[in-house]
Amino acid sequence: MNRENKKRKYDKKYFMKHPCTDSFTCKVCGWPVVSNGAGSNHRNHCPNCLSSIHLDNKPGDRSSECHGVMEPIGVWVRTGGEWAVIHRCRICGKIVSNRVAADDNPMKLMALAMKPFGSERISQKSINKLTISMEG
Amino acid sequence: MDKKIKYICPICRWTPAEYEPIHDWEHCPNCLSSIHEQDEDGNECGGIYEPVGIWVIDDSRWEIIQRCAWCGAMKSTPLHGDDNPLVVLSVASKPLANPPFPVEKTEELTRIMGGKGDIGGYYT
Repeated sequence: MNRENKKRKYDKKYFMKHPCTDSFTCKVCGWPVVSNGAGSNHRNHCPNCLSSIHLDNKPGDRSSECHGVMEPIGVWVRTGGEWAVIHRCRICGKIVSNRVAADDNPMKLMALAMKPFGSERISQKSINKLTISMEG
Repeated sequence: MDKKIKYICPICRWTPAEYEPIHDWEHCPNCLSSIHEQDEDGNECGGIYEPVGIWVIDDSRWEIIQRCAWCGAMKSTPLHGDDNPLVVLSVASKPLANPPFPVEKTEELTRIMGGKGDIGGYYT
Protein backbone atom coordinates (compact mmCIF):
# COMPACT_ATOMS: atom_id res chain seq x y z
CA MET A 1 0.00 0.00 0.00
CA ASN A 2 1.58 3.28 -1.02
CA ARG A 3 1.30 6.49 0.90
CA GLU A 4 -1.53 7.86 -1.22
CA ASN A 5 -3.73 4.83 -0.62
CA LYS A 6 -2.91 4.73 3.07
CA LYS A 7 -3.97 8.30 3.48
CA ARG A 8 -7.24 7.56 1.76
CA LYS A 9 -7.96 4.61 4.03
CA TYR A 10 -8.36 6.92 7.00
CA ASP A 11 -10.65 9.21 5.06
CA LYS A 12 -14.21 9.01 6.36
CA LYS A 13 -15.75 8.41 2.96
CA TYR A 14 -13.22 5.73 1.94
CA PHE A 15 -15.86 3.01 1.77
CA MET A 16 -17.84 4.79 -0.92
CA LYS A 17 -15.24 3.58 -3.43
CA HIS A 18 -13.65 0.58 -1.73
CA PRO A 19 -15.33 -2.44 -0.14
CA CYS A 20 -14.99 -2.78 3.63
CA THR A 21 -13.39 -6.15 4.42
CA ASP A 22 -13.39 -5.95 8.24
CA SER A 23 -15.03 -8.80 10.10
CA PHE A 24 -17.29 -7.89 12.99
CA THR A 25 -19.53 -9.40 15.64
CA CYS A 26 -23.23 -8.75 15.22
CA LYS A 27 -24.44 -6.36 17.92
CA VAL A 28 -27.88 -7.93 17.98
CA CYS A 29 -27.34 -11.70 17.92
CA GLY A 30 -23.57 -12.04 18.47
CA TRP A 31 -22.92 -13.84 15.19
CA PRO A 32 -19.27 -13.58 14.03
CA VAL A 33 -19.55 -12.05 10.55
CA VAL A 34 -16.76 -12.18 7.96
CA SER A 35 -16.85 -10.17 4.77
CA ASN A 36 -16.37 -12.98 2.26
CA GLY A 37 -19.17 -15.34 1.33
CA ALA A 38 -21.69 -12.58 0.81
CA GLY A 39 -21.62 -12.97 -2.97
CA SER A 40 -20.97 -9.25 -3.20
CA ASN A 41 -18.20 -6.95 -2.01
CA HIS A 42 -20.45 -5.09 0.36
CA ARG A 43 -21.55 -6.90 3.49
CA ASN A 44 -24.41 -4.87 4.80
CA HIS A 45 -26.31 -6.88 7.40
CA CYS A 46 -25.77 -9.86 9.68
CA PRO A 47 -26.52 -13.05 7.71
CA ASN A 48 -28.03 -14.72 10.79
CA CYS A 49 -30.50 -12.16 12.15
CA LEU A 50 -30.53 -9.80 9.11
CA SER A 51 -30.15 -6.78 11.41
CA SER A 52 -27.76 -3.95 10.69
CA ILE A 53 -26.46 -0.77 12.30
CA HIS A 54 -27.28 2.72 11.04
CA LEU A 55 -23.82 3.97 10.02
CA ASP A 56 -24.36 5.45 6.56
CA ASN A 57 -26.48 8.24 5.21
CA LYS A 58 -25.45 7.44 1.64
CA PRO A 59 -24.01 3.95 0.94
CA GLY A 60 -20.49 3.77 2.38
CA ASP A 61 -20.03 7.31 3.69
CA ARG A 62 -20.07 6.32 7.42
CA SER A 63 -21.36 9.78 8.29
CA SER A 64 -24.46 8.96 10.31
CA GLU A 65 -24.43 9.92 13.96
CA CYS A 66 -27.41 7.72 14.80
CA HIS A 67 -25.86 4.23 15.17
CA GLY A 68 -29.25 2.70 15.95
CA VAL A 69 -30.19 -0.89 15.25
CA MET A 70 -31.73 -1.31 11.80
CA GLU A 71 -34.22 -4.12 12.14
CA PRO A 72 -35.57 -6.04 9.13
CA ILE A 73 -39.27 -5.25 8.65
CA GLY A 74 -39.96 -6.88 5.30
CA VAL A 75 -38.74 -8.04 1.94
CA TRP A 76 -39.64 -6.90 -1.54
CA VAL A 77 -38.83 -8.04 -5.08
CA ARG A 78 -36.73 -5.68 -7.17
CA THR A 79 -37.11 -5.52 -10.93
CA GLY A 80 -35.16 -8.53 -12.10
CA GLY A 81 -36.58 -10.84 -9.45
CA GLU A 82 -33.95 -10.29 -6.77
CA TRP A 83 -35.06 -9.91 -3.17
CA ALA A 84 -34.11 -6.97 -1.00
CA VAL A 85 -34.52 -6.65 2.77
CA ILE A 86 -36.24 -3.51 4.04
CA HIS A 87 -34.51 -2.14 7.15
CA ARG A 88 -35.93 0.41 9.57
CA CYS A 89 -33.84 2.23 12.15
CA ARG A 90 -35.25 1.80 15.66
CA ILE A 91 -34.02 5.22 16.78
CA CYS A 92 -34.63 7.59 13.88
CA GLY A 93 -37.14 5.58 11.83
CA LYS A 94 -35.25 5.77 8.53
CA ILE A 95 -36.28 3.09 6.04
CA VAL A 96 -33.80 1.72 3.50
CA SER A 97 -33.69 -1.33 1.28
CA ASN A 98 -30.66 -3.61 0.94
CA ARG A 99 -29.93 -6.51 -1.41
CA VAL A 100 -29.97 -9.96 0.15
CA ALA A 101 -26.56 -11.66 0.36
CA ALA A 102 -25.85 -15.19 -0.81
CA ASP A 103 -25.43 -16.57 2.72
CA ASP A 104 -28.40 -14.90 4.40
CA ASN A 105 -30.48 -17.17 6.60
CA PRO A 106 -33.20 -18.52 4.25
CA MET A 107 -35.47 -19.38 7.16
CA LYS A 108 -35.40 -15.78 8.43
CA LEU A 109 -36.04 -14.42 4.94
CA MET A 110 -39.00 -16.74 4.47
CA ALA A 111 -40.35 -15.81 7.92
CA LEU A 112 -40.21 -12.12 6.98
CA ALA A 113 -42.08 -12.77 3.73
CA MET A 114 -44.72 -14.94 5.43
CA LYS A 115 -45.45 -12.53 8.29
CA PRO A 116 -48.57 -10.88 6.77
CA PHE A 117 -50.14 -14.30 6.24
CA GLY A 118 -49.78 -15.33 9.86
CA SER A 119 -51.50 -12.24 11.20
CA GLU A 120 -55.13 -11.74 12.17
CA ARG A 121 -55.58 -8.39 10.43
CA ILE A 122 -56.63 -10.04 7.17
CA SER A 123 -57.64 -13.44 8.48
CA GLN A 124 -58.69 -16.54 6.61
CA LYS A 125 -62.27 -15.80 7.58
CA SER A 126 -62.24 -12.38 5.95
CA ILE A 127 -60.63 -13.81 2.81
CA ASN A 128 -63.39 -16.41 2.73
CA LYS A 129 -66.01 -13.65 3.05
CA LEU A 130 -64.28 -11.74 0.24
CA THR A 131 -64.38 -14.68 -2.16
CA ILE A 132 -68.04 -15.41 -1.38
CA SER A 133 -69.02 -11.79 -2.05
CA MET A 134 -67.01 -11.76 -5.28
CA GLU A 135 -68.75 -14.90 -6.52
CA GLY A 136 -71.94 -12.89 -6.36
CA MET B 1 -68.06 19.19 -8.20
CA ASP B 2 -66.15 20.45 -5.24
CA LYS B 3 -62.52 19.37 -5.37
CA LYS B 4 -62.20 19.48 -1.62
CA ILE B 5 -64.95 16.95 -1.09
CA LYS B 6 -64.21 14.51 -3.88
CA TYR B 7 -60.97 12.58 -3.87
CA ILE B 8 -59.54 11.40 -7.17
CA CYS B 9 -56.44 9.23 -7.14
CA PRO B 10 -53.88 10.78 -9.51
CA ILE B 11 -52.51 7.35 -10.39
CA CYS B 12 -55.45 4.97 -10.82
CA ARG B 13 -58.25 7.56 -11.09
CA TRP B 14 -60.20 5.91 -8.30
CA THR B 15 -62.84 8.02 -6.63
CA PRO B 16 -65.11 7.18 -3.68
CA ALA B 17 -68.75 6.40 -4.40
CA GLU B 18 -71.49 8.85 -3.42
CA TYR B 19 -72.41 7.24 -0.12
CA GLU B 20 -68.86 6.50 1.02
CA PRO B 21 -67.39 8.65 3.79
CA ILE B 22 -64.59 10.99 2.76
CA HIS B 23 -61.27 10.69 4.57
CA ASP B 24 -57.96 12.43 4.28
CA TRP B 25 -56.18 9.46 2.74
CA GLU B 26 -52.42 9.28 2.95
CA HIS B 27 -52.43 6.79 0.11
CA CYS B 28 -55.10 5.78 -2.38
CA PRO B 29 -57.18 2.97 -0.81
CA ASN B 30 -57.55 1.30 -4.19
CA CYS B 31 -53.97 1.15 -5.52
CA LEU B 32 -52.09 1.99 -2.26
CA SER B 33 -49.90 4.46 -4.15
CA SER B 34 -49.33 8.16 -3.62
CA ILE B 35 -47.27 11.00 -5.03
CA HIS B 36 -43.82 11.87 -3.68
CA GLU B 37 -44.26 15.59 -3.21
CA GLN B 38 -40.96 16.66 -1.66
CA ASP B 39 -37.63 14.95 -1.09
CA GLU B 40 -35.32 15.42 1.93
CA ASP B 41 -33.89 18.69 0.69
CA GLY B 42 -37.31 20.16 0.02
CA ASN B 43 -37.08 19.81 -3.73
CA GLU B 44 -40.04 18.67 -5.74
CA CYS B 45 -39.81 15.03 -6.82
CA GLY B 46 -43.18 14.11 -8.31
CA GLY B 47 -42.44 10.39 -8.52
CA ILE B 48 -44.97 7.73 -7.67
CA TYR B 49 -44.72 6.02 -4.28
CA GLU B 50 -45.44 2.40 -5.12
CA PRO B 51 -46.38 -0.18 -2.47
CA VAL B 52 -43.50 -2.67 -2.16
CA GLY B 53 -44.11 -4.42 1.13
CA ILE B 54 -46.17 -4.87 4.26
CA TRP B 55 -44.73 -4.25 7.69
CA VAL B 56 -46.49 -6.23 10.42
CA ILE B 57 -45.90 -4.41 13.72
CA ASP B 58 -48.47 -6.56 15.52
CA ASP B 59 -51.77 -8.18 14.62
CA SER B 60 -53.76 -4.97 14.67
CA ARG B 61 -51.18 -2.57 13.24
CA TRP B 62 -49.91 -2.99 9.70
CA GLU B 63 -48.02 -0.46 7.67
CA ILE B 64 -47.58 -0.26 3.94
CA ILE B 65 -44.00 0.34 2.84
CA GLN B 66 -43.87 2.59 -0.19
CA ARG B 67 -40.93 3.29 -2.46
CA CYS B 68 -40.62 6.20 -4.86
CA ALA B 69 -40.19 4.76 -8.36
CA TRP B 70 -38.29 7.87 -9.39
CA CYS B 71 -35.76 8.59 -6.61
CA GLY B 72 -35.87 5.43 -4.49
CA ALA B 73 -36.93 7.09 -1.23
CA MET B 74 -38.93 4.88 1.11
CA LYS B 75 -41.59 5.56 3.69
CA SER B 76 -44.32 3.74 5.53
CA THR B 77 -47.94 4.68 6.00
CA PRO B 78 -50.42 2.94 8.29
CA LEU B 79 -52.88 0.56 6.69
CA HIS B 80 -56.36 2.05 6.66
CA GLY B 81 -59.59 0.18 7.20
CA ASP B 82 -60.86 0.92 3.68
CA ASP B 83 -57.72 -0.22 1.89
CA ASN B 84 -58.35 -2.83 -0.78
CA PRO B 85 -57.57 -6.20 0.89
CA LEU B 86 -56.92 -7.88 -2.45
CA VAL B 87 -54.18 -5.40 -3.33
CA VAL B 88 -52.68 -5.69 0.16
CA LEU B 89 -52.50 -9.47 -0.16
CA SER B 90 -51.08 -9.26 -3.66
CA VAL B 91 -48.29 -6.95 -2.44
CA ALA B 92 -47.60 -9.32 0.46
CA SER B 93 -47.45 -12.41 -1.75
CA LYS B 94 -45.08 -10.99 -4.36
CA PRO B 95 -41.88 -12.16 -2.60
CA LEU B 96 -43.39 -15.59 -2.00
CA ALA B 97 -44.11 -15.98 -5.70
CA ASN B 98 -40.50 -15.22 -6.55
CA PRO B 99 -38.18 -16.84 -3.98
CA PRO B 100 -34.41 -16.33 -4.49
CA PHE B 101 -33.57 -19.90 -3.44
CA PRO B 102 -35.32 -23.27 -3.87
CA VAL B 103 -38.09 -23.24 -1.26
CA GLU B 104 -38.05 -27.02 -0.88
CA LYS B 105 -34.44 -26.83 0.33
CA THR B 106 -35.00 -24.09 2.92
CA GLU B 107 -34.30 -26.37 5.90
CA GLU B 108 -31.21 -27.86 4.30
CA LEU B 109 -29.80 -24.46 3.39
CA THR B 110 -30.46 -23.13 6.88
CA ARG B 111 -28.63 -26.09 8.41
CA ILE B 112 -25.66 -25.55 6.09
CA MET B 113 -25.21 -21.97 7.21
CA GLY B 114 -25.51 -23.00 10.85
CA GLY B 115 -28.92 -21.53 11.61
CA LYS B 116 -31.88 -23.16 13.26
CA GLY B 117 -35.45 -23.52 12.14
CA ASP B 118 -38.17 -25.99 11.42
CA ILE B 119 -40.92 -25.72 8.82
CA GLY B 120 -42.87 -28.53 10.43
CA GLY B 121 -44.39 -31.53 8.73
CA TYR B 122 -42.60 -34.46 7.16
CA TYR B 123 -40.81 -32.62 4.38
CA THR B 124 -37.19 -33.39 5.16
